[in-house]
Amino acid sequence: MALRELSSLEKFLGLKKPNKYSTQGDKKVPVLQNNNGPPLVGLVTIACHLVKEAKRPELLGDSAESRAVVQQWLEHRVTKLDGCTKEDIKTILKDLNLYLQDKVYLAGNQFTLADTFMYYGIHPLIVDLAIQEKEQYMNVTRWFDHIQHYPGIRHHLPPVAVLRNRIYTGRHH
Amino acid sequence: MALNLTINTSNPPLGALLAAEHVKSSVQVSVEEGKDTRLQVSDAIQFNDTNSISRYLARVAPALGLYGANMMEQTEVDHWLEFSARRLCGQPGLAVALGELDKALSLRTFLVGHAITLADLSVWAALKGHGEWPSQGKSFSHVSRWFYFLSSQVPFSAVGNKYAVKKAPMSKSNQDV
Repeated sequence: MALRELSSLEKFLGLKKPNKYSTQGDKKVPVLQNNNGPPLVGLVTIACHLVKEAKRPELLGDSAESRAVVQQWLEHRVTKLDGCTKEDIKTILKDLNLYLQDKVYLAGNQFTLADTFMYYGIHPLIVDLAIQEKEQYMNVTRWFDHIQHYPGIRHHLPPVAVLRNRIYTGRHH
Repeated sequence: MALNLTINTSNPPLGALLAAEHVKSSVQVSVEEGKDTRLQVSDAIQFNDTNSISRYLARVAPALGLYGANMMEQTEVDHWLEFSARRLCGQPGLAVALGELDKALSLRTFLVGHAITLADLSVWAALKGHGEWPSQGKSFSHVSRWFYFLSSQVPFSAVGNKYAVKKAPMSKSNQDV
């Protein structure tokens, strides 16, 4: 899973030659063996390295504040989202829904690496939601649909059908 | 083919200016200040209405997709152009119109499709020029999110800062900041 994400990220960034990754331990933590230096370990570390290699530093945030927000969501992805239990899913979606109420992207008005990796990470949760649940987590659904249509992001993942108008309008959020 | 857009400085047509700003990389449009708003296309043809000007500019630069990607989206764009002209421009009952807009925007980042279209330009421009809008923003969270997102993007912030100031006499109390 993590290796496919990294290869999708490479394509999105327009990096010409794909890297070769290995994995470490039971949790299959990705490892990138650098030509001139020690190996890089972990999804977020490698992803940030690729972004710098592609000279797209704005994807890590363009101000001190947004850089911190991007790191916070990348950490959320690997610590909370990966390996979450069935009971956690509702809390995660509820919190994210509240957070996205007044935002288009996770770091506010600008697309960043956090959107990419939260999208990859949350995809298996969204696939399983019923239409009514997608509407219940309306802000997550809107953000998700926007990111899956963002040019060059949805490489290895199947598209999720999302309604563009509400049908359960009696509910208030 | 060079186009000439003249704008009424006391009531700048924000939607037309935004459209001009979006298409300027593919079509040559010059903007001049004057008394009346008009787009001079040739000696015989000119447009005076801000939505007509936007439509023409979107059509001469089809690659930008400002008029939507297919016939369905094109119809949706037409719907929002009419909505902005009839429901948001100085009419009473702004709250009802904002309620409809809020519902439409709850599951969308942009009004039509997955990218900027004339619908966003025209509705944003109508709200930007509306004296009552910012104070009503709190009750319509989806409209607010959409409005401030667009306001932060480049052509919108440039056009907003350059031309909105000239409407100052309408809301004097807000201008002391």
